[in-house]
Amino acid sequence: MIWAMYFAVAVLLTAGLYGVITKKNLMKVFISLSIMETGVNLLLITIGYIPGGTAPIENGNFAKYVDPVPQALVLTAIVIGVSVTALALSLLIMYHSKAGTLEYKEGMKW
Amino acid sequence: MHPVLLIAIPLLVAFIIPLFKKYGPSIALGALALNTGISIALFSVVYSTGTVHEIIAGFAPPIGIFLAVDSLSALLAMIINLFALINFMAIGKASEYKFSMLYLLAVAGSTGIVITGDIFNMFVFFEITAVASYALVASRKDKKSMEGAIKYMILGSLGSIFILIGIALIYSQLKSLNIYDIASRISTMDAKIKWASVAMLLTGIGVEAEIFPLNGWVPDAYQGASGGVASLLSFGPSKAAIYAIARIMLVIFPLQKVYYLVLTIGVITLLIGELAALKQENVKRMLAYSSIGQMGLITIAIAMGMNEKNAILAIFFLMVSHASSKASLFLLSDSSGMGSAATKYTGIVSVLGIVGMPPFAGFWGKWYLLMAAINGNMLWVIVLIFFSGIVEAAYFARYLHRYYGNEESFSRLTKYSMAVLATMSLIFGLLPLIYEMGLKTLFGMGGV
Repeated sequence: MIWAMYFAVAVLLTAGLYGVITKKNLMKVFISLSIMETGVNLLLITIGYIPGGTAPIENGNFAKYVDPVPQALVLTAIVIGVSVTALALSLLIMYHSKAGTLEYKEGMKW
Repeated sequence: MHPVLLIAIPLLVAFIIPLFKKYGPSIALGALALNTGISIALFSVVYSTGTVHEIIAGFAPPIGIFLAVDSLSALLAMIINLFALINFMAIGKASEYKFSMLYLLAVAGSTGIVITGDIFNMFVFFEITAVASYALVASRKDKKSMEGAIKYMILGSLGSIFILIGIALIYSQLKSLNIYDIASRISTMDAKIKWASVAMLLTGIGVEAEIFPLNGWVPDAYQGASGGVASLLSFGPSKAAIYAIARIMLVIFPLQKVYYLVLTIGVITLLIGELAALKQENVKRMLAYSSIGQMGLITIAIAMGMNEKNAILAIFFLMVSHASSKASLFLLSDSSGMGSAATKYTGIVSVLGIVGMPPFAGFWGKWYLLMAAINGNMLWVIVLIFFSGIVEAAYFARYLHRYYGNEESFSRLTKYSMAVLATMSLIFGLLPLIYEMGLKTLFGMGGV
């Protein structure tokens, strides 16, 4: 079970990284970044997961519970991801109105 | 003075500003002045008593979040807040209230990076700084600045993902996020996971710290941004990020292999930055590449700081020198000339400071780096420092030749602000403050 989770993390991270590197369309690049973020969040959740553990809520009668810290980290990471995506989309709208396209063809220039 | 105020005040004020739109810049100026006062007080406390540890919200470390202000972070917190105040005087008055908000967020984030003692909080502050800087770069709203901001944003988001993976890997082994707690138990980590986390953290933070090959965004973002924003980026986020590399490499991973890795990265960054700066036609691009070169020099100093006390002194001086001189040069780059006495003074003093003439802070930085190289018997580092100094002198001489005496269009306040900013390098070079701070135990090891 836990190996399936790690496999999913690897797939999401590589798929996202591939998209960031190869896509010319800026919208697709930011979608790929969101996919990578999902992969990292899944990684954090998987690290805190304990087979058979319950939710880490104090109610007096629980023995085995999953690690609460990664869940707090993921919550923060999700909020950050949302704000970055929102800023990226508004920048893309402005870029589209200035440049008339979302394709970014220029590469590195020295 | 509780160091958490340094983060809390600008964050709070940034979100109050939209209520008083018209007075936004004045309120921001007041907050920055207050912050500067607190950071100077904090600096004097660290100067007299050593590293300050503050526990937040009553939970003891390693579980609770805490702030760790060592000698270098006290100096950097003061530099960032003081320079932000002077820089804001130069550019802030004419700006919109949204600009003041973003400016305060960037300052709060950079200060947070340098004073936090918790690796996940460092990530959060990185994100605050980065999101504010993306928007600040785009604030000129033309095509060029959009391109710069989008490029910065893609690489920055990618970098933050890598930082988070690195943190997750460390947490999976040690179940801790406290930097000193991690450092004390780092040898119990599985070797493969340890190296993976070193690589991830260095890659992620390297994007903000402008080290090669992660600095593709630097010239475009600096060229697209207005002079004031480029100036903020050069003394705020990039200094905080290079400090994060210093803290992570020197405190958590002081290992021989990491030493070679960081040293190699620093050497390549220095060479690429200086040589690329030599062939630039646009002033801001030239200054951006010169920044990359200086970052390489600081990275070399960080690597050598693992073995040599003198190199740690060099880190202090190089950071102050670069922050002061580059910030004033970026402010100056908004207009193509140095006509009046104040701008001529700014240009000459900043160039002398960055090339490393005595008694500027830049001179002491290179001096102590040379001392460390002689002690460590590393001839090629000495050759490299002299070579980069000559290249720097060449392109800055061309810069002065081209712009000295031309007409310019700055307001009086802007001119005086940038002159003060340039003088900081001289003041910190002449005062024995940094020297004495550098001799104190750096990073407060074991003082949790």
